[in-house]
Amino acid sequence: MLALTIANLKMLARNRQTTFWALFFPLVLVVAFGLFDLNSLGAAELAVLDRAETPAAAAVVRGLKAVPAVRVVVAPESVAAGRQLVAAGELDYLVVIPEEFAIGGPPTPLELSFTAANEERNQLILGILRQLAGDAVQEGGGPEPPPLVAARPVDSRQVSYFDLVLLGLVGMGIMTNAIISVAVRISNYRNLSILKRMLVTPLAIWKFFAAEVAAQLVLALAQAGIILAVGVWVFGAQLNGNVLYLLPVVILGSLIFLNIGFILSAWANSPAAASGMGNAVAFPMMFFAGVFFPTATLPWLLPYAAEALPLAPMLTALREIGLQEATLGQVWRELALLAGWVVATGVAAVRVFRFS
Amino acid sequence: MRLEGAWGWGVCDILLDVIMADAIWVAGLVKKFGSFTAVDGVSFGVAAGEIFGILGPNGAGKTTTLEIIEGLQRPTAGEVRVLGLESPREASRIKGRIGVQLQSSAYFNFLSLREILGLLGSFYPRRRPAEELLEQVGLGEQGGKRVNQLSGGQRQRFTVAASLVNEPELVILDEPTTGLDPQARRNLWDLIRDIHRRGVTVALTTHYMEEAESLCQRVAIMDRGKLAAIDTPGNLVGQIKTSYTVKLVAAEPLTENQSLALGWGASIGLLSQEPGAAPGEGYPYLLRLDNNPEALNGILEGIVRSGVTLKHLEIVPATLEDVFLELTGKELRD
Repeated sequence: MLALTIANLKMLARNRQTTFWALFFPLVLVVAFGLFDLNSLGAAELAVLDRAETPAAAAVVRGLKAVPAVRVVVAPESVAAGRQLVAAGELDYLVVIPEEFAIGGPPTPLELSFTAANEERNQLILGILRQLAGDAVQEGGGPEPPPLVAARPVDSRQVSYFDLVLLGLVGMGIMTNAIISVAVRISNYRNLSILKRMLVTPLAIWKFFAAEVAAQLVLALAQAGIILAVGVWVFGAQLNGNVLYLLPVVILGSLIFLNIGFILSAWANSPAAASGMGNAVAFPMMFFAGVFFPTATLPWLLPYAAEALPLAPMLTALREIGLQEATLGQVWRELALLAGWVVATGVAAVRVFRFS
Repeated sequence: MRLEGAWGWGVCDILLDVIMADAIWVAGLVKKFGSFTAVDGVSFGVAAGEIFGILGPNGAGKTTTLEIIEGLQRPTAGEVRVLGLESPREASRIKGRIGVQLQSSAYFNFLSLREILGLLGSFYPRRRPAEELLEQVGLGEQGGKRVNQLSGGQRQRFTVAASLVNEPELVILDEPTTGLDPQARRNLWDLIRDIHRRGVTVALTTHYMEEAESLCQRVAIMDRGKLAAIDTPGNLVGQIKTSYTVKLVAAEPLTENQSLALGWGASIGLLSQEPGAAPGEGYPYLLRLDNNPEALNGILEGIVRSGVTLKHLEIVPATLEDVFLELTGKELRD
């Protein structure tokens, strides 16, 4: 069986198409997402905690709402809660307007909380706010005010979009490669009578499949490693958690998608059909399970449907571990879901598989 | 147990076969796919040390029969013993001791010949080195190549080499020469004879008459899932009604009187105009002479008496082709 695993690895390494799908394609996406400055996209989300409720404060809020690059969202309950949101990356800016803030009042500065995620935008927002605060208190023709905005940087493990996408791409790469590679290889083997040829040797046939799975797992781990390495070292993505915890997630996910590949290979009559079917399964799953966009942004009941896809718990687990430093115990739900999928797809694969 | 056989096997024949046939022994084999019966009550034996051929057209059930023997398919009914072991009960032990070449079987695309043989060998406790196998089939220089870099003949020789990795006692080859040019076919025959000389029993299927005639010590003729006959090629030819085939090309179409003269003079079994004649090249006819001492003289007298203007005349002894035609009522073609 070891000989067969090694032979499989040799074949995978020599098959340029496999190499492309396994490594090159996800890497192209890593490069693409790494190069685009995705954080500059869209409006900055900003919340205002107005303790003054004076006309001057209202003028500032009005002014902020008029800035196109800023979206004012519902204020948090407390400063601490707001700063936590900022730290978690769910809110970009928190503006606290002190009680004393009024026209001609004592020069109490506004507080602006932000993270270091986007330095340029921080400067921009800071400038806008200074301007607005200055205008608001000077409305009554008062004297030139002292600096009216205090910067309050929040120290955070700011998770950028690229960090999220990078782990998404790890999941996607493993999924597309496992599904398509296995579906095409096995369907090709069947066409070439290689499966039959194996059956006329005394090799126990489970060993043939075990060797196929073993070789694909090695490939999946190498693939995950390379994608993460390029993302972290070339494009400066964050990876905070224990990388070893990613292993069981990658392995469980691979097993699911390998099983799906075996199932498709049984349905396909030719390697070309297998490839098409593989893509038909992999591509919608890639978008709907949240590789690029959070599933919560889908309308109606679709978020629930998306969560029912096997890729979704894999991505959740990868991101929780990789970005939020979750331990395996903290993602037990996702792991259990993945294990369930492994069993279910495994049973289905054994049922539908055919040798000729 | 019902035994099929055109020559009506006696009890002695059956017993003899059971005793001799320690390589393969098949009795009352039936294989049904739904309502279609692919193999319909086939019985035969293959003795250790012989080259045995199953001859028949496509769809006769040859491959299914072999696949049951190899343990790839389960029989619907009947008994199969290979090398004294019961199939499919002892299939894994059988697989270890036989070598199989599947019809149109290719191998892994991304491994070299040497690597494929090494990999296949790793499945067996007893194995031969890849270089030695490649040497034996005349591919000693090609060990580093991939299967898709080989010619058709080389590829076929390679699949034979692959069937020898475990030093098998019995090699089963399914249409080993189908699709090969005549030179490559002859090379493969030499290879099969070489394997046989080393003491390996060979069972093969073919739909080429010359192949069965020149290669096989015994031939089973199979058609529509049944065995029509089983014997040595010489005996099979000797037992049929036709003794000679006359190929005659006349300048003009034969008149009715001329046909009668030819027919009566030679007691012809069958007279037919060969299909596919081009105009200007004459009118070809095929006559099969009955198996009697006067037949040869009779046809010559008939030709003279009919006054046919001959463009070509060919008289050839009966072949397995004629055996097949007589037993099944149809021509055996590719």
